[in-house]
Amino acid sequence: MAAEPRDRPPPEVRCQGLAKTYGDAGGALMALSTTDLVFEAGRTTALVGPSGCGKSTLLRLIAGLESPTTGSVEIGGESPLAVRKRAGLAMAFQDASLLPWRTVRGNVALALQLGRMPSDGEAVDRLISLVGLDGFEDSRPSQLSGGMRQRAAIARCLVTEPGLLLLDEPFGAVDELTRLRLNQDLPRLWEKRGTTTILVTHSITEAVLLSDRVLVFSARPGRVVADIPVALPRPRSRDSLEHPRFRMITDQVSAALMEGWQADAAQ
Amino acid sequence: MTSPGLAVPRAAAPTRWPDFSRPLAIIGMVIGWELLARLLAGSYILSGPIDILAYLLGNAGLMTRALLVTLEAAAWGFLWGNLAACGLALVALLLPRLQPLISGLALIFFCLPLVATGPILRVLYGTGTGPQVTLAALAVYYTTYLCLLVGLRAAPASWFDLVRTYGRGRMTELLRIRIFATLPYFLAGLQIAAPAAFLGAMVGEFTGAERGMGVLAIRAMRGLDVDATWALASVAAAVSMLAYGALGWIGRRLGSVPPALLMAPPPASGRSPLGLRLALPLAMGLLTLGVVVLLWQGSMDGLGLNRFFAKRPGDVFAFLFTDAQAAANRATLLSAFGATISLALPGYLLGLMLGAAMACAIVIAPALSTTMLPIAIALRSVPIITTAPLITLALGRGAAGTITIVAVMIFFPTLVACLEGLRRTPGQVIDVFESYAASPLRRLTGAQIPAMLPAFFASARMAIPAAFLAATTAEWLATGGGIGSLMAMTASTSAYGMLWSAIVLLALTASLLYLLAGQLEHLVLSRFASEQLVK
Ligand SMILES: Nc1ncnc2c1ncn2[C@@H]1O[C@H](COP(=O)(O)OP(=O)(O)OP(=O)(O)O)[C@@H](O)[C@H]1O
Ligand SMILES: [Mg+2]
Repeated sequence: MAAEPRDRPPPEVRCQGLAKTYGDAGGALMALSTTDLVFEAGRTTALVGPSGCGKSTLLRLIAGLESPTTGSVEIGGESPLAVRKRAGLAMAFQDASLLPWRTVRGNVALALQLGRMPSDGEAVDRLISLVGLDGFEDSRPSQLSGGMRQRAAIARCLVTEPGLLLLDEPFGAVDELTRLRLNQDLPRLWEKRGTTTILVTHSITEAVLLSDRVLVFSARPGRVVADIPVALPRPRSRDSLEHPRFRMITDQVSAALMEGWQADAAQ
Repeated sequence: MTSPGLAVPRAAAPTRWPDFSRPLAIIGMVIGWELLARLLAGSYILSGPIDILAYLLGNAGLMTRALLVTLEAAAWGFLWGNLAACGLALVALLLPRLQPLISGLALIFFCLPLVATGPILRVLYGTGTGPQVTLAALAVYYTTYLCLLVGLRAAPASWFDLVRTYGRGRMTELLRIRIFATLPYFLAGLQIAAPAAFLGAMVGEFTGAERGMGVLAIRAMRGLDVDATWALASVAAAVSMLAYGALGWIGRRLGSVPPALLMAPPPASGRSPLGLRLALPLAMGLLTLGVVVLLWQGSMDGLGLNRFFAKRPGDVFAFLFTDAQAAANRATLLSAFGATISLALPGYLLGLMLGAAMACAIVIAPALSTTMLPIAIALRSVPIITTAPLITLALGRGAAGTITIVAVMIFFPTLVACLEGLRRTPGQVIDVFESYAASPLRRLTGAQIPAMLPAFFASARMAIPAAFLAATTAEWLATGGGIGSLMAMTASTSAYGMLWSAIVLLALTASLLYLLAGQLEHLVLSRFASEQLVK
């Protein structure tokens, strides 16, 4: 296919007038109200918001898995489909979506196969070890815990070294301790290459710790109610949690979430 | 292996006595069987294991030759039937719009009464194993097709999203996801198909083959040779069980977990207005019928088959509606049909209810489960039809005999399906009931019976063609009434107009009842177990 995705600079993602309504006129359900958004190249953006506000929908629209009701998505000037065709993006799904008949190794290697890339056992094993699954290379998903499955899914996302990472609650089922460790280790992978990352999370701490910018969504139909920059030094570590500005930013995010919630309740 | 999430294999329980319950139960069954046979000695009903063994040893050569012939026909039928199922499922997958039509055609062919198609196939093929192979294929392809359909749709949407995130299309979906996701369903289908193929081949041999188990069975029945009949039934059962077990073993070796739900109903028609919901299936049904008529006429004309025995749709219509004797023909056909229905229906309901009730009883007294499930699975594959004459001998030629045969034919598959359904009640749900120390009865009605419903309805649907098969075969071989005997008689007197009319009537009735059962199933499931409906 086209050029190796690894050689390209990370793309900028532009959403223009993007909105999504599910269902027809009768039982229409607006999942995402019109949004104009730019995700800068090489930066990490966290999306937070109440359950059902359309965060997953936004990720799916950006990946082109769902076609928008109105508006358009451009990834580095290309259509999502074109980017997908050269394995230029990878998505981690809310459920890990591992294939039960493949081992962990087979599941990670699947991304290379789907992306029409040469098989690379070394890279596969390196990533498995990076997400802390050494010794489970040959286990099947049914033998793993929920959190272990999610980590395998992350390894699968990273193995193709995509320019754009779409992570839908990738650490949802991971315990606090492992989550903290992953929060420290994994971003290094995509920070080094400056991958454009869009991350959905329910943890405010995680949102702030990982991102350069937090977008707070209102309840359904989702719209951005706050756009909060995270000006914390990188690389981040556990110490970042102690940074005086850290608390400030997390408070800001909680306040924005609360506001959106109260505005909703008032209606 | 120091990772915190290490999955520790469940510790073995401290030294316990090995579980003898299953072998003991089987030995107990065999002894009970022998005792019962001794008790009934002289009544020409039941042979005990010892007599059967003696017969088998005394006729080892004959039995082996017959078994090999039938096995070969069954194996070919198994192969062709399952290949056909794969082909149909693939077309249905690639052309989803055609799926209702394909499913409708598949159902109608599956509902053709073997008792009547057998003799016609015999005329078509002449001598040889053609009819046996065809009937075996007809007996298996539908269940496999259904399993494949469910399996092909069983994969969660996010797996396909994953494929699409890498810009790949439907071919990759098929090759990397669907085929693997379907495998457990396919294997489960094959497991059901194996005994069915053997039964189909035997029924095919009833219709004038030279060699095979079916021929020996007919001979034994006609001569009221009790030992031979039971020996043949035992061999057929053993073969079916072996095939069933072997396929299960292969499945486990391939690491496939038996699927949670088999043969789910067709997808719901959603929230569309009532008129459309009724009109669409009706239009689909008419279209299917039209295609059947075209296929029927086209294949007969295309092959240039003799109109004397290869009746065309127009001939059947004339026979029933425009001929001089049309009214008399209709009267004969309908009275025979009525007689059959009046026996098949009670047998069907009895078998269904007893099967479900037995499954529930076993769950309340779980000690029974470990022993009853394998026995029920074994008995499910017994070609009970071959013992039909003996059952009628015991219960008389009246209603009781036929009803019993139909009920027995349906009882075991229902029992097995319901037990499986009960066993698959989600563990967490049981835990919730346990945490309130609910009584077993409360647990049964609150959690397990709802979980059993899909399996119950699936077997209720599949039991409809089986009930017709059992009733017509019993009438043909033993009781001599109803439409089964009418078909046998018309086949032997070359009254092909009546024979074809009977086929049409039976196939249409069975298909319609099957669809009705599907609607009922959908109604009940959407009320009590909506999560079990395949979307
Ligand atoms: N395929 C679909 N058809 C109809 N409605 C849908 C579909 N997918 C999502 N929705 C609806 O759109 C809304 C937004 O869903 P979405 O999954 O984007 O929420 P979310 O923000 O990711 O929630 P969560 O945090 O719980 O994952 C929800 O109300 C959901 O019911
Ligand atoms: Mg979501």
